Amino acid sequence: MPKIETTESMFYGLLGKTLADDQLEMILQRAKAELDGHDVENKTLKLELNDTNRPDLWSAAGLARQLRTYETQKPVLYDFFSTADESFNTDGRRLICHKEAKAVRPYSIGFAASNCTVTEDILIALIQSQEKLCFNFGRKRKTIAMGIYRSELIHYPVHYTGADPDTTSFIPLGMTEKLTLREITQKHPKGIEYGKIVSDKPVFPFLYDDSGEALSFPPVINSAKIGAVKVGDRDLFIEISGTDLKDLLLAASILSCDMADLGFTILPLEVDFEEETEFGSQLVVPYYFQEPISCTKAQLEKVSGLPLDDAEIVASLARMGIHGFVDNDSIYATVPEYRNDFLHAVDLIEDIIIGHGLSCYEPQMPSDFTIGRLSKEEELSRKVKNIMVGLGFQEMIYNYLGSRKEYIDRMNINGDNAICISNPMSENYEMVRPSIIPCLLESESVSGHATYPHSIFEVGKIAYLCPEDNSGTITRNSIGFFSSDSKIGFNQGSSYVNTLMYFLKKDYSLLELEGDNRFIPGRCAGIMINGKQVGCFGEIHPAVLQNWGCNMPSIACEIDLDSIL
Amino acid sequence: MSIDVKNLHPLEVKVLLHVSLNEDITNDRIVHELGYKVGQCNQAFSWLVGRECLAETKRQQKTIYEITETGRQQEKIGTPIERIFILLKSEGSLTLPDIVKRLELEQSEVGSAFGQLSKSNTAVMGSDKQASLVSDAQLPKEAQVMASLLSKAVASDDGCLADADLSDEEKSVITKNSKKRGASGSPFKTSEREDVFYQLTDTGMKTKMALVEANITGEELGELTPQIIANGQWKTSSFRPYNVNAPIAKLVPGRLNPYGEYLQWVKDKLCALGFEEFDGPLVENEFWNGDALFMPQFHSARDIHDVYRLKEPVHCRKIEEPWLSNVARTHENGGDTGSRGWSYKFDEEFTRRQVLRSQGTVLSAHQLTKAKVPGKYFGIARCFRYDEVDATHGADFYQTEGIVLGKDVNLRTLLGILKMFATEIAGAEEVKYVPGYFPFTEPSIEVHIKHPVLGWFELGGSGILRPEVTKPLGIDVPVLAWGLGIDRMALMHLGLNDLRELFSPNIDNVRTRRGN
Repeated sequence: MPKIETTESMFYGLLGKTLADDQLEMILQRAKAELDGHDVENKTLKLELNDTNRPDLWSAAGLARQLRTYETQKPVLYDFFSTADESFNTDGRRLICHKEAKAVRPYSIGFAASNCTVTEDILIALIQSQEKLCFNFGRKRKTIAMGIYRSELIHYPVHYTGADPDTTSFIPLGMTEKLTLREITQKHPKGIEYGKIVSDKPVFPFLYDDSGEALSFPPVINSAKIGAVKVGDRDLFIEISGTDLKDLLLAASILSCDMADLGFTILPLEVDFEEETEFGSQLVVPYYFQEPISCTKAQLEKVSGLPLDDAEIVASLARMGIHGFVDNDSIYATVPEYRNDFLHAVDLIEDIIIGHGLSCYEPQMPSDFTIGRLSKEEELSRKVKNIMVGLGFQEMIYNYLGSRKEYIDRMNINGDNAICISNPMSENYEMVRPSIIPCLLESESVSGHATYPHSIFEVGKIAYLCPEDNSGTITRNSIGFFSSDSKIGFNQGSSYVNTLMYFLKKDYSLLELEGDNRFIPGRCAGIMINGKQVGCFGEIHPAVLQNWGCNMPSIACEIDLDSIL
Repeated sequence: MSIDVKNLHPLEVKVLLHVSLNEDITNDRIVHELGYKVGQCNQAFSWLVGRECLAETKRQQKTIYEITETGRQQEKIGTPIERIFILLKSEGSLTLPDIVKRLELEQSEVGSAFGQLSKSNTAVMGSDKQASLVSDAQLPKEAQVMASLLSKAVASDDGCLADADLSDEEKSVITKNSKKRGASGSPFKTSEREDVFYQLTDTGMKTKMALVEANITGEELGELTPQIIANGQWKTSSFRPYNVNAPIAKLVPGRLNPYGEYLQWVKDKLCALGFEEFDGPLVENEFWNGDALFMPQFHSARDIHDVYRLKEPVHCRKIEEPWLSNVARTHENGGDTGSRGWSYKFDEEFTRRQVLRSQGTVLSAHQLTKAKVPGKYFGIARCFRYDEVDATHGADFYQTEGIVLGKDVNLRTLLGILKMFATEIAGAEEVKYVPGYFPFTEPSIEVHIKHPVLGWFELGGSGILRPEVTKPLGIDVPVLAWGLGIDRMALMHLGLNDLRELFSPNIDNVRTRRGN
């Protein structure tokens, strides 16, 4: 979940009032947000945003806008958006997207902002917005990267192209010497971190102005000159590059609305694409691209269980910052510039429900009659557990992930059938257990101080490779039991198996088991039902006991419960 | 100090009843008068001193002669002197080497025994080296005394003779035949012992009176045996009352795991509320784990479920149709769900990639393809997350999830079901609903409850499954989906605060753990 940090003054300034923490927590629910922390000393708030589909809420300005509107019921009007029908004049501000960029990172768009002095708060907020949008929404800059520049140094038009990584060079931010684009990916910390997004491409993205002065190497690093924004600057240029034009336009819309809320005047930018895009070959950004969304009143009532009148619907939408109207049975809404999360009518319905207030919906019991039922596996599992408890065994519950050392090496087996994880977090959890017995031995190895005999069992799942299955694996319900004592032996194990099978009403026979290194040869047996082996038991081999650091004679048994269901 | 006379052992009782104030009470006395073994006597004294019923008054040194193995042997077959005397009496005369051979004695033994015989003028050595008895020879007095000492010692309980109990003559004989530390070959071993003298205290006297009053004799029956039942002894005797608060032996019973019991309880509860259980395999694929839940293959929402992937096989062979085509179309352009979809090219290889089930909702998705309408289903599913393991994150853990299908279910029904869970399963005092976000539900609701012990916390997440989830899987009615975070309640129920403890391999921990 995205988390943001903001100063109290900025957030409450944008909200228009100051709140106590519990009041803030209450209204944050309307934006699916939570107060994650309040640093009273440094006067900062930590906020967690749960809606991963609403990047517009991942900034103090965006979140405050949503909360503010909920109370004013007046969606904020932004007057700097061009549309397909109407474009603003850009006073010569232009960006040309050259076709060479297509080979690496096809699009770049942007806008300018002025008439507001960049304070430290604003600078931190802009950097945070950039971070959240590019990291969370833009998948670690892969699909969206953003740069902020000093607009007064720029000679328009700005050019975005795919450049030769070895002959193109500039002084990157944080350094004093000129590096080629390729050198940046090898030497600059940001180059090492983000260079891999483009490093296998024939050309690298390059942004420069009409005088040839470098702005940046998107998505990696700005230039040390035009790209060095600092406190006190008043004129900014924002550039956003990436792979999906709609995502870039949404990011530009979110950022421009935020900056307008912070006091900037947004200055549109004309973007010319050398190659035709889904929006044509010329766009003026910020650009409103969203389609209207609608649902019916019947749908609303069906989903929410509560009919609303037209005025209530319009008011609910307004609280969510959405212009809407009702025409007969249909509800029409204009999607706010900074949102693009309405995929289906249900998305609009949810906004109406939140706008109306969840507390207005009375809980109601479902009227359908249904029969409750445990699974057959659970019923068998309980039967087995009860027998084992009657035999004096303690039920255990284990993790299903463990190490090769535990599941394979210490058991003296080859582990051919074990399911391994390709991306383990640590070698302690690198495979799924193919058997319960190693878990039981782990218990033995950590319980030397517990009164003997140790009689323990688990009914649980195991999984192993199984070429016949579509997944190449199979999960089975299994019972494993284990007993250790100075006097325990094969015969005792056989008695336990016999009792278990008697009460499960299963006729079985025993077959001498060969080549199972977990057990002492000649003191282990396969449990056969209808000619099929369903389990095995025996005296644990001293070599295995020693692998586990155990020195008490032990028996273990494992039976596949699915095959006796 | 007041003593519950029921706590007294019969050995104590009999001593107390036997003795009076101002009498010396010693080991010897009780052994002789009550027929105790020395060990029983020591035990009774030690308990009674502990209870302050007896007090030690003095100690007296005494010399003890304990019969050795040699002594016991001699008592049986006679001392060397006796045997030589008898041999010579029957044979007339023999050389000393002959005697050694005949009696299988050591040469030195024969030498010293014959020395004593000749010294007491009982035997003589002829010029021909033939030894013979004098006429009318009697066994020397000293040898007679020795023989009687040996039989006395053997007859005693502990094979000991006390110096104080012997006549002067006996003393002089025994000292010659006894060695400290019992050098082998010597019939007696000398040791110094202490006699401890006790007297009855006031407490002891009061206790004795109480015994008399309670009519406790020390002869009451202890353990009830089959013989006592059969022979009717129980009709004429009384039973010794036991101290019901005496320390007891700890038992190790066979038991269910308390966490498992809690999960069973939750399952039973859900069954009682009309839910049918479902289950599934641990290995899933991206299709069911994410795609079928309308989580776009590229979207950051997928980061919520960072998953473990399989080394081998990396992919499953196929995804069942028509689900694959339906879901792929829905992702690409919404298909026939009324959605605009995620507008990207669905990756049919990625969707086959195998993962360890990361969320219980996978089972709900599977269930949709075979669910009845109306229907209520639940599962408690083991899930796996790519998380650092700590007190609040396990490598694998249980999730409790379910769905409700019905023609007329809606947001208010969802709230109703959540309320039912809150009160029936969590014992909540108050319930609060908050808008939530889950990629597969819209609207989405979090339910927060006020628990009598834990206070306010999030009980679970829920919502109405998106049409993009239900329609492609063949369901045309609304489906409520819910998940409950029951681990928090399980921890509280078990008095724990670390999730890892729920899966503890430590036998002692699990044996002693109790639920509330």
